[in-house]
Amino acid sequence: MKVNWQLFVGLSVFYVILTIIYWYVGGEPVGISAMLFSACLAGMVGFYLWFTQKRIGSVMPADNLTAEIADGAGELGFYSPHSWWPLPVAASATAMGFGLIIGWWLTVIALAALVISVIGWVTEYEKPLDDPSMTAPH
Amino acid sequence: MTTYAERPVLTPAPGIAPATKGKNFVKWVTSTDHKTIGYLYLMTSFAWFLIGGILALILRFELTRPGMQFISTEQYNQVFTMHGTIMLLMFATPLFVGFANVIMPLQIGAADVAFPRLNMLSYWLYLFGSIMAFAGFIAPGGAASFGWTAYAPLANSTYSPGIGGDLWVVGLAIGGLGTILGGVNFITTIFTMRAPGMTMFRMSIFSWNVLLTSILVLLAFPPLAAALLALESDRIYGSHVFDPANGGAMLWQHLFWFFGHPEVYILALPFFGIATEILPVFSRKPIFGYKGLIAATIAISALSVAVWAHHMFASGQVLLPFFSFMTFLIGVPTGVKFFNWIGTMWRGHVTFETPMLWVMGFLVTFLFGGITGIILASPPLDFAVTASYFVVAHFHYVLFGTVVFAMFAGFYFWWPKMTGKMLNERLGKIHFWTLFFGFHITFLIQHWLGIKGFPRRYADYLATDGFTGMNMISTVGSFLLALSMIPFAINVWITRKSPKVEVDDPWGYGASLEWATSCPPPRHNFLSMPRIRSERPAFDLHHPHIKTEGH
Repeated sequence: MKVNWQLFVGLSVFYVILTIIYWYVGGEPVGISAMLFSACLAGMVGFYLWFTQKRIGSVMPADNLTAEIADGAGELGFYSPHSWWPLPVAASATAMGFGLIIGWWLTVIALAALVISVIGWVTEYEKPLDDPSMTAPH
Repeated sequence: MTTYAERPVLTPAPGIAPATKGKNFVKWVTSTDHKTIGYLYLMTSFAWFLIGGILALILRFELTRPGMQFISTEQYNQVFTMHGTIMLLMFATPLFVGFANVIMPLQIGAADVAFPRLNMLSYWLYLFGSIMAFAGFIAPGGAASFGWTAYAPLANSTYSPGIGGDLWVVGLAIGGLGTILGGVNFITTIFTMRAPGMTMFRMSIFSWNVLLTSILVLLAFPPLAAALLALESDRIYGSHVFDPANGGAMLWQHLFWFFGHPEVYILALPFFGIATEILPVFSRKPIFGYKGLIAATIAISALSVAVWAHHMFASGQVLLPFFSFMTFLIGVPTGVKFFNWIGTMWRGHVTFETPMLWVMGFLVTFLFGGITGIILASPPLDFAVTASYFVVAHFHYVLFGTVVFAMFAGFYFWWPKMTGKMLNERLGKIHFWTLFFGFHITFLIQHWLGIKGFPRRYADYLATDGFTGMNMISTVGSFLLALSMIPFAINVWITRKSPKVEVDDPWGYGASLEWATSCPPPRHNFLSMPRIRSERPAFDLHHPHIKTEGH
């Protein structure tokens, strides 16, 4: 798909032009750096998309003007049917922030909880395939 | 043994326990379904809308007459700070995430979003972050009171001591993290999960706007997070990032508005998208200038990072010609959109069902806000009315006009898709007209109030100032505006048991792909999908005899 990387690279080029104009007419440093960083961000995403497009090389069914729905048949990928893990990850991240205000002890405890829950999240489906808990009801 | 026995009717299938309240609760809390998460977002943000509305009523009642009636000036500061924060960051921004979650995967023919668990994490971060910021009200010293813009040095620990300000800063940083993750999720979904044949230039305008809004989220929220964390470091550890002695006051304003102005477009673009989805359905015509609309949206997104300092004209330290020119320039694509919307209705068979009525309300209200925006883009005019009620009226016309009118348009339009029930038309029309008049009575008068010189954020005024009459009219309007929520609540309540919508497209002329699946859609959205050959796949499916031109 050309549209996606062109969109980001286009934004990046546009921000570079804006930065140059702003710098030329006497803009202040915060705006110059913010717009330059925006250009870098858009450029980074654009480069990744361009690079991935080159690597794949073929036209995806989603970009084929005459594709049939059946062209997308097959495994779409793995989708978590439901998960408890987002809740403890968000709760411990919030507690870490709260710890900044009321005391370091809470941040330290919350950091431990965050590490545990991130590990839980990442390894949630990393189990042997014959594990009965893998066949959770959908 | 019982393998071949006939299954008795009305008995649940083996292995599926009947739904109980506890099971339902667990199902919602652990959900990774984009629709369920979207409903959570919509319900939570609507709850914040009501809370922010109550705060607004407190402000309006306090301003009805000269003198302080029932809250102190410090409490007044807290209430307007939290009103602004709630409405922008806890209501409008997550409302975009809610609509995008429910509708966008359906419109591009995806089974879910790209990262379902990340989606739920975004929701929890938003919920916890917003509760944290609001919890300042029960903290000693009260909630944050430095305005939603938190200008330095007012927001530092000397001028705004107390834990309320810290809770506000950290809460917004956490909520902002959730928004960034949501943006990443939407961009990935649109780039990788479109159905076969759903090319970028067959995607609905709403999905395009979600894509560009998500890009703006990625550009705008990281500077906000950085600024907030630096502010918190100033407040707690005594660093001097935003110390006025080394230019910190201007640094904060630049960083804040570098977030703050794209944020306005983050709030506007998805709701433009909702209006663009509704107009062709009730005009019985394709969108006028599909690619022109997309180009206008891209132009708005690109230009929106170069207009931030028009919020800082009065500081006397910004490049007036550059930002004034850029602001006039960004008005052009917005005007193009208006022509597209009018062109869509032109010579169409326009009918005024409730969703269309709300879109009309949006067009009228947002046009007013756009026109005063052009006035404010001119520095000499801005100097005359800056920080007055003229500006308050302007941004309420812009934001309420887009967010609230288009939100209700979207609710009435997609209610059958989300719940399987139609909302009542008559109550919907009562709701619309009460809200429409309530809103315009409240805010139209504030333009004149501002021109006469009433400054924003003032808790009180003198009887001799001559502001009393206009303030009274405004308060009466706000009361009417609040009352308009009652018909909506009644509507939701009485239609909860109405017959289920059996057809895929109850409006008859639905164009985008969400109208090609059942109401409400099954767990992974589509049991079968039509072939996609234009930007109106559902219309092609339901009206095969009308040939639409493909792109």
